[in-house]
Amino acid sequence: MKGWFWLLLVAFLAGLFWWGMQRNPRELPSVLAKERRPAPGFTLPLLPPYRAEWGEAFRLEDHLGKKPIVLNFWASWCYPACYEEAPVLEAAWRRHRERVLFLGVNTQDKEPEALRFIAQFGLTFPQVFDPRGRVGVDYGMYGVPETFFIDGEGRVYARHAGAIDEATLEKYLKEMLP
Amino acid sequence: MRLLLLLLALSLTALAQEGPPPDLPPEVFRIARELRCPVCQGESAAESNSGVAVEMRRIIAEMLEEGKTEAEIKAFFVERYGDWILYEPPRQGVTLWVWVLPVAGLLVLGLGLFAYFRPRRPLPMELLEEAERRLKEPPA
Repeated sequence: MKGWFWLLLVAFLAGLFWWGMQRNPRELPSVLAKERRPAPGFTLPLLPPYRAEWGEAFRLEDHLGKKPIVLNFWASWCYPACYEEAPVLEAAWRRHRERVLFLGVNTQDKEPEALRFIAQFGLTFPQVFDPRGRVGVDYGMYGVPETFFIDGEGRVYARHAGAIDEATLEKYLKEMLP
Repeated sequence: MRLLLLLLALSLTALAQEGPPPDLPPEVFRIARELRCPVCQGESAAESNSGVAVEMRRIIAEMLEEGKTEAEIKAFFVERYGDWILYEPPRQGVTLWVWVLPVAGLLVLGLGLFAYFRPRRPLPMELLEEAERRLKEPPA
C-alpha cells in the first residue's frame, strides 16, 4: 500500500518533469490573439513617403472592420530578422493589396534610419512612425519583428513573433480571407 | 566672448539631443521592479534599458501622475501581456498552485521524516526474554 503511494508520487513527478521539458520556453502568449480581442486603435503620423497617398496621420479605427489587416512592427536596428521579412511582406502586399491592408509600424527607431530601410526594400505599403513604442505596449508586443493579423471584423486573429516567412503569412491570410 | 559662444553652442547641442529618459520618481521603479521586461531574460522593467522597458517606466510615471493606483497600473499591463508580465503570479486560479505546492511539498516531506524517525515502541517483555533464552541455547 505504502509502496504504491511512493511509486505513484515518483511517476507523477516524472510526468511533470517530462511535460515541463516538452514546453517551449520561448513561446510567448498573446492575450489579444487568444481572446480574439478587438484590435487596439491608434493614430500615428505616417512617414513622409506615404503622406501623399494616405495623409498626414493614420487612424487605425478608420480601417478596422473593412478588410483584414496585417500589422507589422519593425525597426531598422532589428537585424537580421526585420531585413529577412521585409521583402516577404512587400511581395505579399503586392499580391493581396486589393483584399488585405498591410501596415508597418516603425517602432523605437530614428526617422532617417527608418527611411533608409524603407528605400532599401522599396516598401510600398503604408508605414507609420512610433518612436516611443507606445502602440507596441498596447498590443502586448515583446520585441520586433512581430506581426499581428487582424480579421475583417477588426479582431486580433493571430500573432507571429519573429521574422515571418511566406508560407506562414499565406497560411494566416488564407484563414482570414473569406 | 568666445567662451560664452562655446558654452551657448554646447548647451544648444545638449538641448538638441534626445537626452536620457527623464528622472523618474522612485515609486515608478518600485512598481517596474515587479513587472517583467518583455524582451529580456530574467530582468525586470526597472533594470532593463531596452526600449520597451524605458517606455513601460514612462507609462507607469504617466499613470501615477494621473492618480492611478499601483493595482490599476499592474492591471493595465496584465490586460496587454497576461499574468506573464507579473513577477509574482496572482494567488488565485491556476497560478495558485505555484504558491500552494511548495507548502504542500514541505508538509509531505515533514510527514515522511516524522514517520521515519518516530520513536518505536519497545518490544514486549516476554518477547525479549524469549530472545534472550534462545541466544543462550546451544545451537542444535
